[in-house]
Amino acid sequence: MNVSKDLVAASATPLILAILKEYDSYGYAIIKRVKEMSENQLIWTEGMLYPVLHRLEEHQLIESYLSKSEAGRQRKYYRIKESGLTELELQKKQWEIVHNALARTWNEESNS
Amino acid sequence: MFDLETQIHSWSDHLRAHGKLSDADIHELENHLRDEIEDLIAAGLTPDESFLISVKRLGNVDAISHEFAKVNTESLWKHLLVEPIDSLAKQLNRRDIALVVIFALLAGTLFKIPELFGFGLLDQDGEIKIFFIKNLSFFILPFIAAFFLIKRKSELKTWATILGIFILAAVIINVYPSFDPHHTEVLTIVHLPLFLWLVIGAAYIGREWQGSQGRMNFIRFTGEAFIYGVLVMAGVMVLFLFTMVIFQAIQIDIEKFLTEYLLIYGGFAAAMITVYLVEAKKSVVENFAPILAKIFSPLFLIIMVAFLIVMMITGNSPFMEREFLIGFDFMLALVLGLVLYVISARDIRQPANLFDYLNLALIMAALVIDGVALSAILFRLSAFGITPNKLAALGENLALLGNLAGLAWLYIGYFKKKFDFSKLIKWQTDYLYVYFIWTAIVVFIFPIVFRFN
Repeated sequence: MNVSKDLVAASATPLILAILKEYDSYGYAIIKRVKEMSENQLIWTEGMLYPVLHRLEEHQLIESYLSKSEAGRQRKYYRIKESGLTELELQKKQWEIVHNALARTWNEESNS
Repeated sequence: MFDLETQIHSWSDHLRAHGKLSDADIHELENHLRDEIEDLIAAGLTPDESFLISVKRLGNVDAISHEFAKVNTESLWKHLLVEPIDSLAKQLNRRDIALVVIFALLAGTLFKIPELFGFGLLDQDGEIKIFFIKNLSFFILPFIAAFFLIKRKSELKTWATILGIFILAAVIINVYPSFDPHHTEVLTIVHLPLFLWLVIGAAYIGREWQGSQGRMNFIRFTGEAFIYGVLVMAGVMVLFLFTMVIFQAIQIDIEKFLTEYLLIYGGFAAAMITVYLVEAKKSVVENFAPILAKIFSPLFLIIMVAFLIVMMITGNSPFMEREFLIGFDFMLALVLGLVLYVISARDIRQPANLFDYLNLALIMAALVIDGVALSAILFRLSAFGITPNKLAALGENLALLGNLAGLAWLYIGYFKKKFDFSKLIKWQTDYLYVYFIWTAIVVFIFPIVFRFN
């Protein structure tokens, strides 16, 4: 099933922040991780991911640094910052509100 | 035979050509492509299959650059004047603007100080005093140098060296006497700004002043600063004329105020603003100097070839007055500028293109014309004796000639695939030393040699 574009866009920030909270990562690995966690349901494109990463960086939620990969290539890694962690907590709460509301209404539907 | 490296390079060049992506973006995407390819190869695909699939997955270049542009356009023009988005850059930008304002005011006020002590700008005949013309560079260039020293967070040692050179130069220039007919003094006036500009180069480049990359950036900066400077100065002149005319309409003559304040402060401010703008825009907007160079290099080539043909048909050899030699110096400098700015915008990895051949043709034509001119001046020089002006013009000619001849030789080697393009860049950036030394000789040694005449 295809997840709608708007929903993908809205969930991008919390997903990225959550992944970076686990460990520092780079673009290609983030896309792979999202694919893995969503059981192949969420396939992000590069054209979507990098602009979001750069925007988060501009907003000082994450920061980037260059580091050598195993193959000896310079790779741009991203690391979550203190403000990013706060933002993640905030987003979590917001998503919980939405999630709870949806869950309740759907439960009522099935109960009635 | 499929060469993966070349394919990846041409892919990223293609991205670069689209212009909307920064180098860092491209680097990141290229890495992404490589990761994808590696994974596919590990899964058992051949390199060419992996490359094709990965490129396809990344999507077409238009779509990518369009997505990126959404982020980048926000910063494109805003970077210039409106506040950048992230707060650190915002603070730095505010500091830079403050520096520009303070330095412009300081430079203007410094220029006015001698007047307080009865040493006015103009002499009895209404001409600007030679002191101000000679020292004009010292009123503004140290501030530009300081601007870059602050921006680059230079160490104390660099500060001391660069300001030391400025002070030393100022002292020497003003201690030197000058006797009629003031030839060496005029030469100093012409060469001093060039010399000091190269000193600013050291401040601009900062720590990497020995690498050709930094010096090339300074050459780019010089070209852009020149173009922006002319535009900003034109704005100041329009403001000047406009103010004068409307006040004249109500019978108030404010020309004195305008020339003594608006022009002086405006001029210094124009210089500082130019430096700030060019520095701020750096890679955000496409450089203008290379575009001008590309437009005019074919035209200059046509004129020069036409000149050569006419000279050969009529048999008229150039009549060697000093003015003409200076004219030929200008021709060489122009050709060098055209060639240089075409090179400056060039991607080193790119294969030779039309403009490289045009460059070589242009250099060759210039060398032939100058060869003819030089033989004439050398004859005259030996017949009529040496004057400082002739020697300076000759020295310039030889310096430029050496520069262009070296470029031509390297170009030919490059076309023959003997070495790669970076060698041309290295030659050109190393050659800055020659100009530095030559201008220093004219400014500081010539007056002594020619007994301050």
